[in-house]
Amino acid sequence: MSGYGGAVEMPPASRTLGRRAAIVGVGESDFHDDYQAERTRPAGYRAPDLEALMERAFERALADSGLSRSDIDGLSLCCTYGGPEPADMARRLGLAPRYAEATGNIMAGPIPRITADIVDGKADVVAMIFGVTPRSGGRRYGGATFSAGLGPLSYYYYHPWGWSSQAAHWALMFSHYQAMYGAREEDLGAVAVQLREHARRNPNAIMQKPLTVEGYMASRYVVRPLHLLDICLVNDGAVCLIVSRAEFARGAARPPVLVAGWSHAAVKADKMQAMVRDRLRPILQDAGARALAMADVALSDVGHFEGYDASTIHLINQIEGFGFVAQGEGLEFCKSGGMGLGGRLPTNTCGGNLSASYMQGWSQVVETVRQLRGEAGPRQVAGLNVAMTALTQTSQAHPLIFVKGD
Amino acid sequence: MAERRPDRTLGGPNDAFWASCAKGELRLQRCADCARYSWPPVESCEHCQSGALSWEPMSGKGSIAGWCSFEQDYYGGILPVPYDTILVELEEGPLFLSNPDDFTWRDIKPGMAVELRFRECEDSAGGFSLPVFAKA
Repeated sequence: MSGYGGAVEMPPASRTLGRRAAIVGVGESDFHDDYQAERTRPAGYRAPDLEALMERAFERALADSGLSRSDIDGLSLCCTYGGPEPADMARRLGLAPRYAEATGNIMAGPIPRITADIVDGKADVVAMIFGVTPRSGGRRYGGATFSAGLGPLSYYYYHPWGWSSQAAHWALMFSHYQAMYGAREEDLGAVAVQLREHARRNPNAIMQKPLTVEGYMASRYVVRPLHLLDICLVNDGAVCLIVSRAEFARGAARPPVLVAGWSHAAVKADKMQAMVRDRLRPILQDAGARALAMADVALSDVGHFEGYDASTIHLINQIEGFGFVAQGEGLEFCKSGGMGLGGRLPTNTCGGNLSASYMQGWSQVVETVRQLRGEAGPRQVAGLNVAMTALTQTSQAHPLIFVKGD
Repeated sequence: MAERRPDRTLGGPNDAFWASCAKGELRLQRCADCARYSWPPVESCEHCQSGALSWEPMSGKGSIAGWCSFEQDYYGGILPVPYDTILVELEEGPLFLSNPDDFTWRDIKPGMAVELRFRECEDSAGGFSLPVFAKA
């Protein structure tokens, strides 16, 4: 039992757990509308609270799955900044599950963990609900927010030199990347532009205005060499995934999406070296290879990628680090359309954390499900059978492989 | 006059680090078992978990491995923006996050040589000497 605060203990990559669970329902809160309302605050507006957002995502996922409330026999909650008592949430949702638990937070482990629980017979159909309200809560991602005991060492140790924040991690990486490969800010802007193009094909994406490289360059610097539009959004929202035993999913309302592979790798020492110089390549290579082996697919089988775009450059770290393209070639790959619809590796097709919604890795899974089902509408990737998502932070990587079921 | 800075992390091995700085020395922990350095300060070696650590003096010579410049004020005005930070590869190997003393990010060339200086600063725990780097 990890609760909301800690890391989720996830079962190691193992072929015996591959394709044993399927995602049969997905739902999200109103990212676009809630964000706009929170910004403009019309008279009498009150931001929906965490439980309301989670309920909305759950109801949509339940409707999407075609299942009834009584089919749900497990409830797993993930709330990064704290959340409801699982038993209270089960009552609110009208569920009487065999188990209800606070599993964790970000998309680093809950899917393997729930898969293992299903295989162990603890439940047949689990509603997994994630929710956060950092925007209405005024949460800051740098400065004195972080101190000893609150967050990773690299987030607070360098305060006396004024070095802090998520953006600073990515900025240091990009200045190193520039020195290595001669990349310009305009080159990096191509990533923001590509994801905005995707977001404009997703009505629930927060950012809908067209973006050009000129518009990107005109956005203010947060931490040079990075602009505001290199950094992910911060928004309130919730995501629900309904996961069932694979055999139970056959003949479901929608094509089931099988959880085929996963793995996890973490940086244990020399964090600055791993982050700035290696750009996490060793852990991405290691974790990627093990996840693909568990799923029994090759990297070249992956037709769609949903990476963790906390920053533009960090998405490139993953494209290069997993080996989709060679080191130093990620930005050229993006500029030539490789990450776009119709490219070799359509990437973050819903608009990602940069332009759609920052749900700490959970939205990436929803988009993967929609793509594998063939329900992504104007942003659909043609002929897709195998997709990869990755929760990748400054010191851990957790790739997941999904395949289309029957 | 001492320059105001956001608070250091203090206690345990951190105090030994700042005590060295107060004497004008940059010392990092090195493991007697695996010979590798750990930074920031640790209770046991970050590579092999050995407790056999000693504080080794650094030459103060290094080169620039990365930089970033803060335009957003994350510290409520304690440090006036914009200000610059650099990642220095010390001659002995460790990567050390610091500030440039006599140059800005615009002057930085990849691999540029730098050398150690100390700047007199203060935080809510009192005065301290902050290791920074100047052009070599």
